[in-house]
Amino acid sequence: MNAIAHPLHPSVDTGALTICGLSKTYALKGRPVKVLKDIDLNIRPGEFVSILGASGCGKSTLLRLIVGLDQDYQGQILLDQQPVRGPGLERGIVFQDHRLFPWMTLQQNIALALKNHVMPAAQKDRLVAEHIDLVGLRGFELAYPHQLSGGMAQRAAIARALVNKPKVLLLDEPLGALDALTRVRLQQELQRIWIQERCTVIMVTHDIDEALYLGDRVIVMDANPGTIREDLPIDLPHPRERDSALLQGYKQRLLGELVGH
Amino acid sequence: MKVRDMRGLVLPLLMVGAWEYASRQGAAGAYAFVPLAQVASAMAELLGSGELLINLWASLTRTCTGLGVGIVGGIGLGALMALCGPANRLIAPLFHALRQVPMLGWIPLIALWLGNGESAKLLIVSLAALYPMVLNTFESRRQVEGQHREAAQVLMLSRWQQLRLILLPAAVPGIAAGVLQALAFAWVTSVGSELFLSSGAGLGSLMMNAEAAARMEIIIVCVLCIGLSGYLMSWLCTLLSRRLLRWRPNR
Repeated sequence: MNAIAHPLHPSVDTGALTICGLSKTYALKGRPVKVLKDIDLNIRPGEFVSILGASGCGKSTLLRLIVGLDQDYQGQILLDQQPVRGPGLERGIVFQDHRLFPWMTLQQNIALALKNHVMPAAQKDRLVAEHIDLVGLRGFELAYPHQLSGGMAQRAAIARALVNKPKVLLLDEPLGALDALTRVRLQQELQRIWIQERCTVIMVTHDIDEALYLGDRVIVMDANPGTIREDLPIDLPHPRERDSALLQGYKQRLLGELVGH
Repeated sequence: MKVRDMRGLVLPLLMVGAWEYASRQGAAGAYAFVPLAQVASAMAELLGSGELLINLWASLTRTCTGLGVGIVGGIGLGALMALCGPANRLIAPLFHALRQVPMLGWIPLIALWLGNGESAKLLIVSLAALYPMVLNTFESRRQVEGQHREAAQVLMLSRWQQLRLILLPAAVPGIAAGVLQALAFAWVTSVGSELFLSSGAGLGSLMMNAEAAARMEIIIVCVLCIGLSGYLMSWLCTLLSRRLLRWRPNR
């Protein structure tokens, strides 16, 4: 891989993420436990990277470090050559639970992400409406989160993360809590949204199909301590067919690696 | 109103019937349970002379003033204790110790300090409202889940925005529950303080005077009045909090 990342899509030139020698240690009952060890990762602008691993391999911790919620680590995280310090609007995240604020309507929840942007109110309203459209929730602007289904709430969370036009979108098992049918539908939606927005996406998942269907690359992680076992490029243009022979082949291989022994 | 909504009236009506029946059991019965007709005429008399309304109004205004003081002070103190660790460690032991003294147990001391006038009663009512407000405000901070804080951090909200847009709305359910409790305490201690410090207007004073004059019918009118007003106030309060909390799923 080149030291300087080339954009995957000519139109996208920001959102390159470079991770060098990243390690993270937790104190568990006074004893240090290493959750991430020497992670090196180069992600090109506009790339969709799936991170696949069993629970406990530190993949969610990795996202927390990238988004800036946890700043206690060794190593370097660079976004477009600039070190990442704390949270920032150029990095958006969607958690497994939607984390919408229950006392705000869908519209207010999404508009909250634009709170500290300096722009006319009309433009904010337009952006919010556009992103509600983007995730297919038109007509639910005034609904409170408890009135939305799990899938709809997760769409809203995606809209909230995207409304800032982040360079990097982090997805922490975003579909993990949904039923199988909704999950498949939202995977297609995610693909469509990503093709439209073309930001860099890092998605953590433990679903092999999901990782293969969406990722330009699938990073397979090992646990105890969390390390990168394999970096698998999936050379198949988007939008993809779920039953493509190439994806099925990769699936068998990954299944064998992850569960086979 | 549907028939099933009226079920709450069954027990009160049975009690009224039993009362009237008992009052007709000879002279002793009429002495222990004053006949309803007499209660009704006392009610008419008190309403006609304006005595009932004046005293009811005095009790209600004191309750509302004390409740207001208690709510403002309680939210302030509760928020201070919730948001500032050192303040909590400093105040909490004293607060929880003082809270153990029953409200009416403060009356002798307060009477010595402030006499038995309005300011003494107002202080008691305010204190009664303060305790539940502090406790509920303090507890409601725990309702703000860490997840919401993280979401607010990721959206880059400032500390002030987090307080106003996240912590405060998240605390509203707890505060509303506190207001409902505080209202009940304020009303009870408002009337209670009048029983002990019987000077000036108030339903409690009216009852004490009626006791001295052996007018049971007036006492009954006062008891009914206290119960109904308290019930109405907490009903209004519940309506208001449902409106404020319409974002919550219905139980």
